[in-house]
Amino acid sequence: MEDGPGKLKRRVEPSLYTIKGMVILDNDGHRILAKYYDKNIFPTSKEQKAFEKNLFNKTHRSNTEIIMLDGLTCVYRSNVDLYFYVMGSSYENELILMTVLNCLYDSISQILRRNVEKRAVLDSLDIALLAMDEICDGGIILDADAASVVGRVALRTDDIPLGEQTVAQVLQSAKEQLKWSLLK
Amino acid sequence: MNAFKRDKKEEEDGGGNPFQNLEKTTVLQEARTFNDTPVNPRKCAHILTKILYLLNQGEQLGTTEATEAFFAMTKLFQSRDVILRRLVYLGIKELSQVAEDVIIVTSSLTKDMTGKEDLYRAAAIRALCTITDGGMLAAIERYMKQAIVDKSPAVSSAALVSSLHLSNVSGDIARRWANEAQEALNSDNVMVQYHALGVLYQARKSDKHAVIKLVAKLIKNIQKSPYATCMLIRMACKLLDETNNENTELLEFIEACLRHKSEMVVYEAAHALVNLSQSGIREIAPAISVLQLFCGSPKAALRFAAVRTLNKVAMTHPAAVTACNLDLENLITDSNRSIATLAITTLLKTGAESSVDR
Repeated sequence: MEDGPGKLKRRVEPSLYTIKGMVILDNDGHRILAKYYDKNIFPTSKEQKAFEKNLFNKTHRSNTEIIMLDGLTCVYRSNVDLYFYVMGSSYENELILMTVLNCLYDSISQILRRNVEKRAVLDSLDIALLAMDEICDGGIILDADAASVVGRVALRTDDIPLGEQTVAQVLQSAKEQLKWSLLK
Repeated sequence: MNAFKRDKKEEEDGGGNPFQNLEKTTVLQEARTFNDTPVNPRKCAHILTKILYLLNQGEQLGTTEATEAFFAMTKLFQSRDVILRRLVYLGIKELSQVAEDVIIVTSSLTKDMTGKEDLYRAAAIRALCTITDGGMLAAIERYMKQAIVDKSPAVSSAALVSSLHLSNVSGDIARRWANEAQEALNSDNVMVQYHALGVLYQARKSDKHAVIKLVAKLIKNIQKSPYATCMLIRMACKLLDETNNENTELLEFIEACLRHKSEMVVYEAAHALVNLSQSGIREIAPAISVLQLFCGSPKAALRFAAVRTLNKVAMTHPAAVTACNLDLENLITDSNRSIATLAITTLLKTGAESSVDR
């Protein structure tokens, strides 16, 4: 599980490439969405799914937030029938991975209006895909703030109940409407 | 108001997943709808989502299939629907590895990246850079430099991150854009600061003196961004390990980070101090105290990080870890088995007979 004494002094080159993968599984361990950012780990879909199966078997009964598996540090969270995972190398700062996981979970939660379950994710799969793309770009954390991620996925503002919109969003949508009414 | 209302009816007859029984060939057939004018944004977005879903599930497309789908997708640039456009960018990124002649979308993407809509611009930059090869780089260079210093954080971050990816295409890209990255480093946005530091490091990492200068300048005014600070700690560690001679300024910086308000930075600093090859007991002691504190955290990730680091230190400085024995004993019964295991193996390295009995 831990690195041998020989590796203790080995320092990884400072780099922004932090995230090895982000996965959302359902309560049978089947993939809903998954992205892997390092071609050297799990290069094929078959290897990825084998890893996900193993990961799910090790995590679905215990909600303990963090596990080492296949040389990766995996942090996770679950809700109703969904499991969210973020993976990084075993040298990675666990708390950085945790902020990315929280951002993934909170963004999806805000997009689904706190209704975090499989059916809702599938209904808004397009937005979920966009959100994952805004959180991590090719292994680099692009944005780890859920509110900002949700703003960036251009959620149709008419979809959010007025009470949950920010003042800026309301103004923005009023501006849009005005623009279009002028253009017509 | 969602794009999948239609499927709700289908669900009543069958499975709970509207995407469950998708057939690759059927979906690709449906993609021909993309050629219709005018574009129906809702319908096309739904079909595009199906394609993205199939690719995400690991479905492989042949070169011809991918190219056909890609060209059909380019027709969707006619629509101004925000979500559809963003899905097209995703599609471009996903298919660009397999499809041929993907540079056909260069002008559309360049137009979007220089347009007015910030949400388009950032995403268009990222899509454009995935299809950019060495030959095209010169054509977009001017726009990229502008984007790096753009006042929109999304645009600036997109350009900085993309220039790191482009280092695979052209090794000196970061160096060529370093002036702009230097300007972006002054941004108030925590992510832009972080990404700019990444690009600056990439630009200078082969020149040790340039890295020393960069780090020396940055540690004087501690970065606002916790991510950038973590990166800076790593850069400082690398210099400390390479130079071997005492660089007290760098050490003092890392020690000061132990008092940072972000836990992420505090842990990074503690981890760095105990792993430095030149660290003696004196340097380690404050780091150990921090890790000891983390052992009692309600957050499993923090306990895990702390005990894993202590476990490593126990191999080189077992005596320094002895102070944490009581905290480690508490972790033996932790609900997270990895934490419990790490606590036990650490105690085996440091524990005295008295604790073994308990």
